[in-house]
Amino acid sequence: MYDTVNQDLLEELSAKPEIWDCTTCWTCAARCPKGLEPMEVLVGLRSIQVEEGKVQPTVRDALQSIFQDGNPWGVPRAKRYDWAEGLDVKILEPEAEEKTDVLVFVCCTDAYDTRVVKVTQALVKVLRAAGVDFGFIGEDESCCGSEVRRLGEEGLFEMCDEENVEMLNSFNVERIVTISPHCYNAMKKEYHGLKHPVLHYTQLLDQLIGEGKLKLSGNYEKVVTYHDPCYLGKQNDIYEEPRRILTSIPGVDFREFDRCRERSLCCEGGGGKMWVESESTEERLAEVRVRDAREMGAQVIAVACPFCLLTLEDATKVQGLEEEMQVMDILEILSEVL
Amino acid sequence: MNMVVCVKRVPDTAESEVHIDSTGKGIETGKLSFRMNDADNYAVEEAILIKEKIGGTVNVISIGDEKSDEQIRMALAKGGDEAIRITDPALAGSDGFALAKALAAAIKGMEYDLVLTGALADDDGCAVVGVALAELLGVPHAAYVKKVEVLEDGKKIKVGRELEGGLMEFLEMELPAVLTIQTGINEPRYASFKGIKAAAKKEIAVKSVADLGLDPSEVGEAGSWAVLESFTYPVVGEKAEILEGDPAETAAKLAAILKEKGLV
Repeated sequence: MYDTVNQDLLEELSAKPEIWDCTTCWTCAARCPKGLEPMEVLVGLRSIQVEEGKVQPTVRDALQSIFQDGNPWGVPRAKRYDWAEGLDVKILEPEAEEKTDVLVFVCCTDAYDTRVVKVTQALVKVLRAAGVDFGFIGEDESCCGSEVRRLGEEGLFEMCDEENVEMLNSFNVERIVTISPHCYNAMKKEYHGLKHPVLHYTQLLDQLIGEGKLKLSGNYEKVVTYHDPCYLGKQNDIYEEPRRILTSIPGVDFREFDRCRERSLCCEGGGGKMWVESESTEERLAEVRVRDAREMGAQVIAVACPFCLLTLEDATKVQGLEEEMQVMDILEILSEVL
Repeated sequence: MNMVVCVKRVPDTAESEVHIDSTGKGIETGKLSFRMNDADNYAVEEAILIKEKIGGTVNVISIGDEKSDEQIRMALAKGGDEAIRITDPALAGSDGFALAKALAAAIKGMEYDLVLTGALADDDGCAVVGVALAELLGVPHAAYVKKVEVLEDGKKIKVGRELEGGLMEFLEMELPAVLTIQTGINEPRYASFKGIKAAAKKEIAVKSVADLGLDPSEVGEAGSWAVLESFTYPVVGEKAEILEGDPAETAAKLAAILKEKGLV
């Protein structure tokens, strides 16, 4: 039933600015009583615009930067491992004879963003404390492509899939651990032919704490709430691990958002939204989230995703709450209580 | 309207440190990424916009080794029709004038109404090639163009040139002509990955200096008016002061100096 009339209608639909408001949070799919995934229609409409080259300059630059430098932030590949300076981390060799337990896939925001690199540095500290044998790809690591796909650039995502699978398969490792739920989701559900199992870091740390390998000796006497990242919770059903980690930290007074787990409210950082200028004048969801956290008396909003970290932290600043409320990745909290 | 667009592959130095290489005549490129020269990207877009509006063809030309195919393909993906890449060891050391000679030799045999180049290259910053090209082709030119309007008969164009202080100078020009395009004239479109892949099927005609009917002595250092002797780092003069410390400290020192000198 595909004809020129439908083609014209699709063109008309795809030109609507609202299609770029979708954060691909998955709420529509999670709640759909018929098991559909309505957000994929919006991603499909985006791809019509992408193929015609009609995307916002910020989106254009992010995609072009991934094509040229392997990251959406317009930073050279040569700076991809600047975050590790002085940390003496292991850079893995392809086809190495000796097996390394964990390959940590850092990805772009955790490698380049001045705020988020602190999470990556905390990860090194935590994994070392737990005695994990881990290494990194180094400068050759490229974007996982999750946001590429959500922005509707299917061709470029296929390139990310193909090149990353080939590279990741070349390493002699037991498993891959991602810091971002977006990389986790792409590798787990969208890559083709990846031979290593993939874990989100919260899964690994939950295991390590359970086995007594990661000991938390400090005291963290704060009211902490947890914001479920959409790509970890709704899209991959990882709800218990982050909570078990947080509640095992001595001193933590853990409280839940009213809208938590499957009902968790999106921070609006996914779906390529880090690069989309929205025409919507409605209040940002991250601000709603921060207000809810304040009402329950939270001192810390714990997250497990770089985009949640950035959007929620921005929201605390917009509301002038940065003095009384912190947004921290679980890794950062852990690194303080080792 | 038959158009020719000249594009150049340049290192992206906005976020990178630039180091002089061991020859003293070049920079270390190993850790740099490359892209289409910014102004050339706008020139490509302008040509495609004109083509979409009134029809015609867009021929893309670049000088460089096979790595420049990446930039050519990007222009083809956006709507370019044909492409030529000029490559020859004899071109090494060419200044803007010598490069313009090679481009002119390639363009002379074509039927063209309009040649577009970027106003300025991000690497050498000479702003010479477009203007020299017009002279060699014997056609009028306008530099730093920020507006192009094709007049009704298609034989003339109206162009706006960017002058100091944001002033625009408007000119009517006869065609054929050469325009050097300033950044900001339009909003360049995105070249999708599939588009670039499809463009890879279009043939890029590779030509040597001899193919263009030029003698090797007409290009390279021998054919240039300006020869690059060496690069040097800026010398720290007596009045230069390098502030040291973390960002908070250096910012405080800088603020104190600016206040002291009455500059703020």
